[in-house]
Amino acid sequence: MIVFNKVNKYFGDFHVLKDIDLTITKGEVVVVIGPSGSGKSTLLRCINHLETISDGSLTVNDIPVNDKKTDINKLRRNIGMVFQHFHLYPHKTVLENIILAPMKVLGKSEAEAKETAKKYLEKVGILEKADSYPSQLSGGQQQRVAIARGLAMSPEIMLFDEPTSALDPEMIGEVLDVMKTLAHEGMTMVVVTHEMGFAKEVADRIVFMDEGRVLEESKPSEFYENPREERAKLFLSRILNH
Amino acid sequence: MDFARVWAYSDMIIEGLQVTMLASVIALLASLFFGTLVAVMRISPFKSLNWLGSAYVEFFRNIPLLLIILSVFFIFTPKGWIAGTIGLTIYTTAFIAEAIRAGIQSIPKGQMEAARSTGLTYGQAMILIILPQAIKVVIPPLGNQFLNLVKNSSLLAMVAGGDLMYQADLISSITFKTMDTYVFIAGFYLILTIPLSFLVKYLEKRFALSG
Repeated sequence: MIVFNKVNKYFGDFHVLKDIDLTITKGEVVVVIGPSGSGKSTLLRCINHLETISDGSLTVNDIPVNDKKTDINKLRRNIGMVFQHFHLYPHKTVLENIILAPMKVLGKSEAEAKETAKKYLEKVGILEKADSYPSQLSGGQQQRVAIARGLAMSPEIMLFDEPTSALDPEMIGEVLDVMKTLAHEGMTMVVVTHEMGFAKEVADRIVFMDEGRVLEESKPSEFYENPREERAKLFLSRILNH
Repeated sequence: MDFARVWAYSDMIIEGLQVTMLASVIALLASLFFGTLVAVMRISPFKSLNWLGSAYVEFFRNIPLLLIILSVFFIFTPKGWIAGTIGLTIYTTAFIAEAIRAGIQSIPKGQMEAARSTGLTYGQAMILIILPQAIKVVIPPLGNQFLNLVKNSSLLAMVAGGDLMYQADLISSITFKTMDTYVFIAGFYLILTIPLSFLVKYLEKRFALSG
């Protein structure tokens, strides 16, 4: 479904992604971890073309992401994205945040979009906040709205870029619960996160990155108990012993 | 000060006031529209549009307004108030474009990314997400530009634009009460600009409240 083939990416002279080969199949939940600056977020952002790759090929559903002929807006309808800092639209209510793209991009009627939006708000457990503004919500609630906003486009793929890193510890659980539900329902998910509990419970595969390379790909149980790479061992010992 | 002597020409003053108001309102709306357009050009992903926008701003904000008005007057139309209003629009557009560009760039990049990643086009994201947020930031500097615009409209007098300043010139040359006339006319400019100042303050407060 998502195929990286010898993908390289430079920011000026900085070589962020080095010869990435990675295939993510439909329904798979892939957790990407690694030290900061290892290129995990960049990897994720290439999938929906928020970043452009420098060379190699990257396809989503066999459509080349970086081809000039590809209608990127059409491709993006099928890929939801959740950001570390939520990025809800502050001038719009929760409901308006969610119905905007379905109405403007998919051409749904307002009534239809609202109905769908409410369904997803219920799913993420904050239907009662539909008419609030984002600034009136806690971080955890905002992130759940952001997830609902992504889901409202009925995408086949959801990307999560450190979705819990900006949250108070108490609110991490509520966001992870929503993500776990999605994973169990068969959503294809690529998640950049350090949440080990989440990774162990729902990830099909862990991708460990360092300095722009994918160093290790393995099942969560194998990875956490017995990482093959030295760098991965060091990384795990550091995040476990703080 | 003999204001009664000046007020004897009240019909001219009222007419001038109307022309000044009309020219200001037209130039204000037009430069808001074109200024937004130029601002969006300057930050768009297209290099040629960036260049065009920058060239416009740097050229027109760095030459005297009077020169622009005279050029429009001699090249395009002998109607003074039309030439003046067009000149004002061309000039003010450059300043408004800069204010709006700064406002747009003050909105976190994540807003555009979030909007684009749901499949909205660049234009839709700009109009639906970025500009409505930028407008709050932009109100105070826009207010400044609008006040300047009203005062700058006095240059219409140079091309016989029939505005307040033009009428003041006429009245002072008829009455020879030069100081009296100009002081009296200054009062009329204040009648226009002070409410505008308060309007800007009011809008600033109102937009600050709405999330």
